[in-house]
Amino acid sequence: MEFLELTVDKFTFRFATDRYYHPDGVWALPEEDNRVRIGLSDFAQQSNGDVAFAEVKPVGTTVAFGEEVASIETIKANVFVPTPVSGTVVEVNQALEVRPELINEDPYGEGWLAVIAASDWEADRARLLDAQAYLERVREIAEEEMKKR
Amino acid sequence: MSPNRRVVIVPCSGIGKTFGTVSREAAYTVVEDLRPDTAELVALSLLVLGDEEARAAVAEHPTITIDGCRLACATKMVQESGFTVARSFTVLDAFRKHRDLKPEGISSLNPEGQKLARVLAEEVAEAVDELAKVYPDNGGSDADSA
Repeated sequence: MEFLELTVDKFTFRFATDRYYHPDGVWALPEEDNRVRIGLSDFAQQSNGDVAFAEVKPVGTTVAFGEEVASIETIKANVFVPTPVSGTVVEVNQALEVRPELINEDPYGEGWLAVIAASDWEADRARLLDAQAYLERVREIAEEEMKKR
Repeated sequence: MSPNRRVVIVPCSGIGKTFGTVSREAAYTVVEDLRPDTAELVALSLLVLGDEEARAAVAEHPTITIDGCRLACATKMVQESGFTVARSFTVLDAFRKHRDLKPEGISSLNPEGQKLARVLAEEVAEAVDELAKVYPDNGGSDADSA
């Protein structure tokens, strides 16, 4: 897996280059048979802090682009996780029930949230950002945050 | 350290962090309320600075760390100072066991945070008892009574 990196102040954020990003920090990785794996970006997990609980919509749930597919409770906040792809949840990362910290430890790998059988991936992909575009969005967000300090 | 105090507790020193505040509240509860005759606090900052009394206390007594988050600064700094951590606790793990006790606040915790600190303190107190039995004769460093 290859990454782009962005360092802002003391923080370094990584962006896996093999996937697409919802502007609110959820990645989408297309796989075989029109399935798309999703998870939280490194920036999203770092800015929200340690995950205490992760609840993903159960298998069989139908979700439309931007709707809540998971809710994550961290030491800082309750995080609304929008789906970057419309379709039906076909797999949920069961490991998160006992080790929600995987989202922090390995956001692009073992910390994935769900797999969705996409209903119109090409249309959804057109609404997502590639790694470079998402990095630029994060740069803007991070620099705004720095100005507030 | 008092001759009778046989277990050291090193809490998180995270400033401005709710979970750090819970870790310190839990530590205070253990040493001031639950196990005042057995447990003693050592400040992480003194340990990192190389304070001789702090180092002697940690060197000569089983040490419990209480971390706020997964950065685990207390545990890591005790270990990087060359000492062994006998038991480690984190506020995050305690919260995962008691989801209804969501802590909020920094200078003063909300009631849920205070309850979480108390619950965590009771767990730590049990660990203090276990370690005090395992190490019954190590109370003689007298580091803070000179």
